[in-house]
Amino acid sequence: MTNYEHTIIARQDFTKSQIDALITKYSNIINKNNGEILKIEEWGILQLAYKISKNTKGNYLHFKITGTGVTIEELEKNERIDKNLLRFLTVRVKNHNLEKNYFAQEESSEKNYEKKTKKQN
Amino acid sequence: MKRKPKNKIKKKSNFNKLSLFAPQGFGFKRKCPLSGKHAPNIDYKNIKLLKRYTSENGKILPSRITSVSLKKQRELNKAIKKARILALL
Repeated sequence: MTNYEHTIIARQDFTKSQIDALITKYSNIINKNNGEILKIEEWGILQLAYKISKNTKGNYLHFKITGTGVTIEELEKNERIDKNLLRFLTVRVKNHNLEKNYFAQEESSEKNYEKKTKKQN
Repeated sequence: MKRKPKNKIKKKSNFNKLSLFAPQGFGFKRKCPLSGKHAPNIDYKNIKLLKRYTSENGKILPSRITSVSLKKQRELNKAIKKARILALL
């Protein structure tokens, strides 16, 4: 079993119920193929750095998964067909960092983090 | 014994004057800002950190300007390229 981080960008005009449907759809696929979801992060609507098929903004979803190569294969196979998604990316990581969320709404933790880095410089 | 602390203070003051992208060649090298005990983690999700090491046009800055060590520069490159795929940078 290996650790993966998986992010999806959905279209900008998605409503909340549609996003929830996306989450259930893909978590079902993961669970069926020997995978396990440790955490789901919703980053919300973010500005894209460049246009992707006429979209300027995107709905970001982030999964932290443990599973085998088969689960990732199945996931990506289904995502390539899905027209509602703009992008997806899977990254293999050694250890999951479940506490830190760089895209949290409050950003209080990030400020503290910045102070620390400033002191070093 | 008295001389040692004086030297230390001088070095520190020089260090503070340097901005992040100051030209080098003053006879000493800046330490790598990303290695060491309290260095921040290089991650493709940490956009604030990655933006510091890219130019305004989104190009990756060379390590000779930012004085990042070779190992960390490799990690940075990979992280920046992942962030580009996700349209974060």
